[in-house]
Amino acid sequence: MELNANAFGRNSRKALLDKTLQEALGRTTGRFQAHRDAAVAAFPEFEATRERASRIKRDVLDHLDTYLARFIEEAEKRGAVVHVARGPGQAREIAARIARDEGVTLAVKSKSMASEEISFNEALQGAGVTVVESDLGEFIIQLAGEAPSHIIAPAVHKTREQISRLFERHLGEPRTDSIPELVAMARRHLRAKFLSAGMGVSGGNFLVADTGSVVIVTNEGNGRMGTVLPRVHLAVVGIEKVIPRLADLPTFLRLLPRSASGQTISSYVSIVTGARRAGDPEGPERTHILLLDCGRSAILEGKYREILKCVRCAACLNACPVYQSVGGHAYGWVYSGPIGAVLTPLLVGLPEAAALPDASTLCGACADVCPVKIPLPDFLLELRSDAREQGLKAPGEIAAMKGYAGVMKRAGLLEAIERIAGVLGQFFTKGKGIAGLPYPFSGWTERRDFPVPAARPFRKRWKIQRGVTR
Amino acid sequence: MDPKEPIPVSLFFTCLADAFSPGVCTATVEVLERFGAAVSVPLSQTCCGQPAFNSGNRKEARAMARKFLLSFPDDGYIVTPSGSCAAMVKHGYPVLFRDEPRTLTRARAVGERIFELSQFLVDVLGVTDPKSDFSGKVTYHDSCHLRRGLGVVSAPRKLLRAIPGVEFVEMEESDRCCGFGGVFSLKYPRISCKMTERKVERILATGASYVTSGDLGCLLSIGGLISRVGYPVKAIHLAEILVGKTGGLSSFAADAASVEPRPPGTVRWAGGR
Repeated sequence: MELNANAFGRNSRKALLDKTLQEALGRTTGRFQAHRDAAVAAFPEFEATRERASRIKRDVLDHLDTYLARFIEEAEKRGAVVHVARGPGQAREIAARIARDEGVTLAVKSKSMASEEISFNEALQGAGVTVVESDLGEFIIQLAGEAPSHIIAPAVHKTREQISRLFERHLGEPRTDSIPELVAMARRHLRAKFLSAGMGVSGGNFLVADTGSVVIVTNEGNGRMGTVLPRVHLAVVGIEKVIPRLADLPTFLRLLPRSASGQTISSYVSIVTGARRAGDPEGPERTHILLLDCGRSAILEGKYREILKCVRCAACLNACPVYQSVGGHAYGWVYSGPIGAVLTPLLVGLPEAAALPDASTLCGACADVCPVKIPLPDFLLELRSDAREQGLKAPGEIAAMKGYAGVMKRAGLLEAIERIAGVLGQFFTKGKGIAGLPYPFSGWTERRDFPVPAARPFRKRWKIQRGVTR
Repeated sequence: MDPKEPIPVSLFFTCLADAFSPGVCTATVEVLERFGAAVSVPLSQTCCGQPAFNSGNRKEARAMARKFLLSFPDDGYIVTPSGSCAAMVKHGYPVLFRDEPRTLTRARAVGERIFELSQFLVDVLGVTDPKSDFSGKVTYHDSCHLRRGLGVVSAPRKLLRAIPGVEFVEMEESDRCCGFGGVFSLKYPRISCKMTERKVERILATGASYVTSGDLGCLLSIGGLISRVGYPVKAIHLAEILVGKTGGLSSFAADAASVEPRPPGTVRWAGGR
């Protein structure tokens, strides 16, 4: 997927003016969050489960090599072919090679954020393979030629009118504003693809080390059909998704749907273990698992390692007032919201996405809802500091900060400046709020007044009233 | 502690209140004195360094933090009318000085002694009745750093409910960020404003005459929007409600904030005056 993260400012201005998007955001994120809060309230063990999940994930990160080796060994033992890609380029090559070797011309794909990371569809198209997105939301945005704007609801920014127009143009369906009819149209169209595709592509929510299984959590039947019907199954999964034991899975299955959409459990949970064996009634003849490192090992070595605990539930997006204001496209890459603001700079390099860590008020709502307790606000702060260290901050900001610190080191100087500001403020504004300030405060006063500096600051008052000098 | 023995409290008045809302500082002093505190004001204090820290400029933040740590005495409570500044000292300083063991020890010790006003009144002094004669319909905005950073949720509400003249109403999404976010409101002013607009909508829906908070930063944004549009509600700091109509402001009568409701169009941010 094309990277556009440093244009966050421009992207967000566009998003704020997009009426349809604004309506969709208000509707969806609010609903997800309300459902999540209700589901958590109705599950007294949430906190304990969350603690356990966080502990398991930390253990995984401490011994990632061991668990991955175990996973690969067990998966291969059960007939799967496991590939490991260091970077996105290598991942694309491997994916294209698999498709060519298997003689695939049509692939049906269920939703996978990891595959977006490596621009999977483009890679396969380059190898002469048509890729059809089979998740309803992904199917819609594929027709529209867009990228997902939400981790679990990729077409959250589309209205049913827009969807109907897309179906009319691309599928030749009649216009309708009935959601069930739209769903039926997509299903009819996709059913034919499932039956003729040579390869089904999926992501993976968890990799189980002790059984070599790939676990896929979905709400639509597409994930299951894509892993069962076509001759070949390819799972594209980040290496951090491994969990030690099948017995750990219930912990995560309790947290993920509740945090994501407020569901007690998702409609489908597929545990795919190896390829089809003799006597199996169904399943692919061959199973490939493409494990993506793509920057993850490097993250594991550093201070942001806990970001790899993420289970991609999107609870932080739904809770984030910035995401709710601008939507996912503003973040300019695969991952949006608070997780995107941290993960994107770590995966693509801070210089390519230094605008994102600033796109937060540090309100902490994301950390409140994170089911695996990732300290997202701390990481945002840390990334901002890294940006300064790496020379990625605007010279104006650094100069302003130096000046400000210079003043704040001396109370006397601050007092003198406050007095001058107070006199000027009273003189120019006659005590009314300031309606216009020069850059960098001009944006602030576009729709808000700025308060007038007091004629006599508190420090001065205190000295006069109490007759003290220290 | 002997109730007659004055409790030593150093006031951390914050640079924002110093410059824009001195009335908030005097109200804080008055309320603390009302409940037996002997308030001293270290005059060498300036800013805790939060804007620099939050924008990633740690070198500058460290310089200000060092200055802060030197400005306050070695013992006694430190009380401030700002949840975010208290949270900065408590949680930000240990990050800033993580590689300087001696300063870190000092920072942690100061962090133990620092309290936001409502938290100090309720949790430390055990105040159940703030003895305020303030009157009006009031709604409360949870500042993010006060609520999530310090975990202060019930203290300000308890105090507001205990004022006989105050009709307290909860707004929807009271814990949702107002959009200020310090440097965020400068870097992304339009998003910030969109968030403030949503907050003000929720405030207006309560029909309250006053919106209060434990952080001047939030009131800067909320009050600034109210002032620009002229909404019939007034943004006022919690300390100013706790002190009451006639209380502590009398000693600074010339600068006392007027707390009478005004007709729409003339309503202004309560700070500044």
